[in-house]
Amino acid sequence: MATVQFKNVNKCFGATEVIPDISLNIPHGSFTVFVGPSGCGKSTLLRMVAGLEEVSAGSIAIDQQDVTFVRPVDRGVAMVFQSYALYPHMNVEQNIGFGLKMAKVPADEVKRRVHAAAETLQLDQLLKRKPGELSGGQRQRVAIGRAIVREPKVFLFDEPLSNLDAALRTQMRIELAQLHKRLGATMIYVTHDQVEAMTLADQIVVLNKGRIEQVGSPMELYLNPRTLFVAGFIGSPKMNLINGATAGRFDAHTLGIRPEHIDICHDAGQWQGKVIISEQLGSDTYLHLDVPGAGNIIARAPGDASFTAGQQVGLAPRNDCLHRFDAQGQALE
Amino acid sequence: MTDAKVAAARPLTAKARIARMYRDGKLTTILLFLPPALLLFTLFVVTPILNAAHLSLYRWSGFGEVTDYVGLKNYSTLFAHSIFHQSMWNSVKIILASILLQIPLALGLALLIYRKTPTNTLFRLVFLAPYILAEIASGLIWSFMFDGDYGVSAQVASALSMPSFYILADKQFAFLAIITVIVWKYFGFHMMIFIAALQSVPGELLEAASLDCRKSWQIVAFVKLPLISHAIKLSVFFSIIGSLQVFDIIIPLTNGGPSNSTHSIVSYLYTFGLTRLNVGYGSAVGVALFLFCVFTALTYKRLVIREGKSA
Ligand SMILES: Nc1ncnc2c1ncn2[C@@H]1O[C@H](COP(=O)(O)OP(=O)(O)OP(=O)(O)O)[C@@H](O)[C@H]1O
Ligand SMILES: [Mg+2]
Repeated sequence: MATVQFKNVNKCFGATEVIPDISLNIPHGSFTVFVGPSGCGKSTLLRMVAGLEEVSAGSIAIDQQDVTFVRPVDRGVAMVFQSYALYPHMNVEQNIGFGLKMAKVPADEVKRRVHAAAETLQLDQLLKRKPGELSGGQRQRVAIGRAIVREPKVFLFDEPLSNLDAALRTQMRIELAQLHKRLGATMIYVTHDQVEAMTLADQIVVLNKGRIEQVGSPMELYLNPRTLFVAGFIGSPKMNLINGATAGRFDAHTLGIRPEHIDICHDAGQWQGKVIISEQLGSDTYLHLDVPGAGNIIARAPGDASFTAGQQVGLAPRNDCLHRFDAQGQALE
Repeated sequence: MTDAKVAAARPLTAKARIARMYRDGKLTTILLFLPPALLLFTLFVVTPILNAAHLSLYRWSGFGEVTDYVGLKNYSTLFAHSIFHQSMWNSVKIILASILLQIPLALGLALLIYRKTPTNTLFRLVFLAPYILAEIASGLIWSFMFDGDYGVSAQVASALSMPSFYILADKQFAFLAIITVIVWKYFGFHMMIFIAALQSVPGELLEAASLDCRKSWQIVAFVKLPLISHAIKLSVFFSIIGSLQVFDIIIPLTNGGPSNSTHSIVSYLYTFGLTRLNVGYGSAVGVALFLFCVFTALTYKRLVIREGKSA
């Protein structure tokens, strides 16, 4: 079973401690996504699994075996890099088959596996091309193909879609989800795009400054963020966070409410707000409101609702969807 | 990728092309910047070559009028001269040594010390030192090393209580000594070219390779070397052209001796053309060398560098 386990992993670059102490279990066959703001240590964590970065303390196990001191090539992992890292002097076929060739797999076997992977990824027409003659999406597929043929225990992706345009990113996201379903392999995926995290993951690990904030399924994180950081990070647009007297009335230091959990009523609601701007996205309308005592609040209204700036509206937050946090940013029950 | 563009551009007539160049300002640039370059090139390259070609048809000591027209006699003497054959052959040997010893040595060292660390910087400096040294100075240093009476080789010989030996006076070893000095002198230059090329290989590519390759030689052979092949080709080119022009190492070491066995083409030219006041003959050697260089450069470019195919 290709599980991945971090045990008290610590990482320092010289004097700077990037990851203080992480312990984490990644179950077999899961699609685990590391999310977090830039510089929080996502790539470092992933690269330690690959063996491209040494751990400073602690251990990493893949498939129940301690691989802390095992060379990258012997760990049974395949990695897809953000820049794709295709060998520019080799054509697509050679790029995909390179790892197998180096592992002394017989030539006809290499060919068979490369062609099978190419077919899955719709690369069969491009096998003789060099990476320089491919589009971004095609290069990305080659990079994925290179990972697939090695039949690794664990796939590692470091922001693989961040160089693609929006449309292609959506398409590749779906293809990756299908790939995971078909292969059933363990995948670890780094991104700072929370839409990717929400749609692809069955387990999200939210990282902040080298620490794990929360681990859970996307809906768990969405519905029950255990810290203020997770509450603010997961969900788009962001959860409204209200401090001060309004929060105090609910016995909390900070009160959180998602835009989709605030109902808009034209008569007086619990809160009164003045529309600053209304963003109509077609399916939804997001109202940016100025609410006395609560500050700037975003609320979601139906797509066909129309508001004008300056208009007064009543707001009714759904009381069962409120999130309460203490002064340390921990959720209160 | 530019196929379509090229195809579209081909039917343009010369006139249309010039008109287009005028419109996008290229013509102005050309008219402004080409003449100075052309002038300098003509003055310092083309004229001397034409001059040499002209002189090579005369018997001329370098003084007085150039009147003694001898036709191609200088050339026929040259091609019949056994010492010229020897010096040609020596140049070929220098080329082979450069390619087969110097470049592999430079490449090996570059692979060892291309990463940026303080120790590596120190090694780089040490290895580059011979190249920075003036040729004449290195020649003198090594002639002291090889000196059988007072030099390092004399000390080695006495330490081993052997009779002292005179490497540079030995017909068998003198040229080997010269090749050693040439390799010693120039490997650092090639090493620096390779280091620069290796440092420009993207890190993620090498990381990908470290996930693909079981042995580090596999990374070197299948990833690093192909990725710096353009630098290697360039280095070989410099080696060849440089080898054909070796001169100031040979003069202080052996001055072409013993019995004219260690001449390069240029030291042959200098000895038989200039010091013997036979400028017409020297010019013929120069022209032959020039043609040889041009031929080599063009052949190499066509066979190895092939535009667009490399990279
Ligand atoms: N080789 C290195 N030497 C020193 N510090 C490093 C090195 N690599 C990363 N760091 C530091 O470690 C921290 C975590 O880096 P990491 O690349 O893991 O962040 P990340 O979460 O992947 O960010 P991003 O989303 O921007 O890719 C950063 O503060 C970075 O400056
Ligand atoms: Mg990163």
